[in-house]
Amino acid sequence: MVEFLVFLCVIFPVLAGGAAFLDRSNALKKRLVTVTGGVLTLASIALALRGGGSIPFSSALAGAMSTPIHVLDLALLCLIAYIGWRRSHRLILTLAAVQLAGMFVLGSYLHPEVAAEAPAFTVDSLSLTLVLVVSIIGSLIAYYAIGYMAEHERHLHLVRTKQPRFFAIILVFLGAMNGLAMADNLSWIYFFWEVTTLCSYLLIAHDDTEIANTNAERALWMNMAGGVAFVLALLWLQSVQGTLSLTALQAMARSGAKEAAFLLPVVALCIAGFTKSAQAPFQSWLCGAMVAPTPVSALLHSSTMVKAGVYLVLRLAPLSLGTTVSTMIAVCGAFTFLVMAALAAGQSNGKKILAYSTISNLGLIIACAGINTPAAIAAGMLLLVFHAISKGLLFLCVGAIEQKIGSRDIEDMRGLFQVMPKTALVTAFGIVSMMLPPFGMLLAKWMALESSVEASAMPVLVVTLALGSALTVLFWGRWAGILIGSLNPRLELAPETQEATMGFAVRSLTIGAAVISFFAPLLYLWLVEPAVQAMFADVSSLSFNGWYGGVGNRYGIFAVYPLYLLIALGFWYAWNETKKHAVSGPELPYMSGVQAAQNGTIGFIGPMKGFVEAKGGNYYLDAFFGEGRLIRPTNYIALALFVMLLGGVLQ
Amino acid sequence: MIAKLFFGLIGLAVAPVLGGIIAGLDRRVTARMQSRFGPPLLQPFYDVLKLLGKRPSAVNAWLVLCSYLTLMSSALAVFLFFFQADLLLIFFVMTIGAVFQVMGALSVNSPFSQVGAQRELLQMLAYEPLIIMVFVGIALKTGSFSIENIYALEQPLLFSLPILFLALGVALTIKLRKSPFDISTSHHGHQEIVRGLLTEYTGPQLAMLEIAHWLDVVLILGLCSLFWSTGMIGMLVLLAATYFVEMLVDNISSRLTWQWMLTRVLAPTMVLCLVNILWLYTL
Repeated sequence: MVEFLVFLCVIFPVLAGGAAFLDRSNALKKRLVTVTGGVLTLASIALALRGGGSIPFSSALAGAMSTPIHVLDLALLCLIAYIGWRRSHRLILTLAAVQLAGMFVLGSYLHPEVAAEAPAFTVDSLSLTLVLVVSIIGSLIAYYAIGYMAEHERHLHLVRTKQPRFFAIILVFLGAMNGLAMADNLSWIYFFWEVTTLCSYLLIAHDDTEIANTNAERALWMNMAGGVAFVLALLWLQSVQGTLSLTALQAMARSGAKEAAFLLPVVALCIAGFTKSAQAPFQSWLCGAMVAPTPVSALLHSSTMVKAGVYLVLRLAPLSLGTTVSTMIAVCGAFTFLVMAALAAGQSNGKKILAYSTISNLGLIIACAGINTPAAIAAGMLLLVFHAISKGLLFLCVGAIEQKIGSRDIEDMRGLFQVMPKTALVTAFGIVSMMLPPFGMLLAKWMALESSVEASAMPVLVVTLALGSALTVLFWGRWAGILIGSLNPRLELAPETQEATMGFAVRSLTIGAAVISFFAPLLYLWLVEPAVQAMFADVSSLSFNGWYGGVGNRYGIFAVYPLYLLIALGFWYAWNETKKHAVSGPELPYMSGVQAAQNGTIGFIGPMKGFVEAKGGNYYLDAFFGEGRLIRPTNYIALALFVMLLGGVLQ
Repeated sequence: MIAKLFFGLIGLAVAPVLGGIIAGLDRRVTARMQSRFGPPLLQPFYDVLKLLGKRPSAVNAWLVLCSYLTLMSSALAVFLFFFQADLLLIFFVMTIGAVFQVMGALSVNSPFSQVGAQRELLQMLAYEPLIIMVFVGIALKTGSFSIENIYALEQPLLFSLPILFLALGVALTIKLRKSPFDISTSHHGHQEIVRGLLTEYTGPQLAMLEIAHWLDVVLILGLCSLFWSTGMIGMLVLLAATYFVEMLVDNISSRLTWQWMLTRVLAPTMVLCLVNILWLYTL
């Protein structure tokens, strides 16, 4: 049964993707995406309800996949090398050649023979978390893309539709992500990892403009650099430790084999994870990737693919438990969290704010993995889930807004409520769910802050987390504020039409963000606690206890249900009172003079009785948070931290 | 549990009265410092009652919603404080109000309210990290973020966290927007941006924000009281002294720019907090 469900999660989307590619007439697209989404959702939930299990290499599924994966792995690297050659990008070509050589050595000389009974797939709570995120949120975003891409192509006046290719890549990507989450053998994870890299490249370059191609190349070479680190780790593990199985490596770590020879490949894998998650100094590829159509940004560059990096780091956390390496991982993550929040505060481009805040949150997850206590890992897992929901939602909203107003600059979203009332409100809700209680993101952030107190690099972490959180409130708060700008003293929502598939996805994620935040304690009991228990031999006092109502440990208690209900009640009351609010007539804002309104804009009567429009703008504090100011020092400090991370191996 | 709930509700009921009286005292003492006689002690209550009776007039519905939400969050934070809940949780609940107050101000396209909101966001950027640092220091000392554990201490926190108490004082001045940090809005007449953040909140909405402000004063003084948790008299002396210094500073200093606040106040105070935390961490 587990085998069949894993098949549905990994292979089915790939087959559907093939069908979508061959479907040149575009007639089956909607059905294929919907059916795949449904199958993935049901299969992942069924898998989660069954509680997972492991599938040995001797199984029919793994047996059937083994040879194709070996062949496809080499074919994939050749394809990337070919792309490098076609684009005369020497760096990509070199990195692909190095990996090709590495995989050749691994296959021909090191013979990673796997015992038939060794697990090919391990479906545990941690991998299930990622599988659920990919299968459910990923499917919703793919569904949204149906409406979005039709409008996108109408806007570009394409002669020949590129949608079959687009949806084929998206569907294959979903399968690869699920494979990556559940594979136990690192060489298989590597294969799926490189598939997602290639998908990311192809989707960033989808619009085939000059800037899209340049940014796609940058994304490709940076991820390929991470791939080289991955291959080196594979070679080292196979030749020194003699195994590529995560389960076996974890058993080794338990028995106390944490010398430098064991930690070096772990560090290499973490660096690969850093590149995938666009941690400093690799942040530029993710910002560049924002040129892709918005569903791509939502799916690959916020909700799922970049999560693969932090997933790997979380997965490897037990291997570096209690070492300097782990401390340094926490410092690297916290540093990224702070700097990227500052960079987000300096941006007015909506998608760039989302990109920087994504990197920032991924940094926080990595910091949690590095703190490496049961409580911190739990915080990291919850961040992974809630960030995927809320950030996916925000990207989808920005996509819809951009198609309507033709801009992604938040200054152009001033008073959006008057143009797109529902979308503006949902976006503001998404923003609030990213930063305020009682929502899941804040619960997870609270857990991260509380667990940082017992971390080994505590003073550094606490300062960075405190400053980073405050910056987060700064850039979210002002965005939400200008979105709801309006001149209507009544609380009325004007009707707003939205394309059906896009509307469905946005609605589902909105409800998901609200409902899953409420059931966070259940999520904790059901997915997070088992995962943490599997990772740590001793989860005594340091872990959070989930119970029906909240989570807490000896450091503190977050009673989710009472708090959520109280705040919801307060909001409901405030909303109703606002609706009942007696309106004495339209008022104009105070202008320190004669205020006036003309054609819906507000202003005052200036000199010569002329109308002067009032214009507002946010503080972007370029002197503090501008890219020109921060990027260079960030890259230097991040490189220094990498050196310290490597130095940690010797400790 | 029942006792704590009871305590929380009592605290919530007493807090607005207490906050109003503190505001009245503040005005009296300030007047004396400026050689004026000053208004009656209960003047803040008269003001709020008058505002509540005003004809409602708001540019948009969000101002109404946001003032309700601000008051709700301040009330919830005060309740949680007297309920002896988790310190960080109280802090995050307090943030809800601060954020919605700013969102309301931003939803109106008035230059005064826009500039005020931007400045308030910078004030939040300045006080939030300081408050988190103070709470982390407390957790290091007591082994928990729960207020309950502080009352179990035998020595007042002030002895082990003196610098953090100072930082809390700075955060208090910024949060309550007292001079030299009355950057986003001010209680006094000498306001350069009309009333900044509060420009567009009028009548009943302004009254609600005023009550929320009283609750914030009580909450922050409550946080200060945690530093002398061992005796009632010591606690009152500490609170009186702290608030007196606040008023004195408020009257003898002039408003500074936000650049100054971020570079010359936030940065060095964070370093000082770190010093205090480091000595607890190594000990």
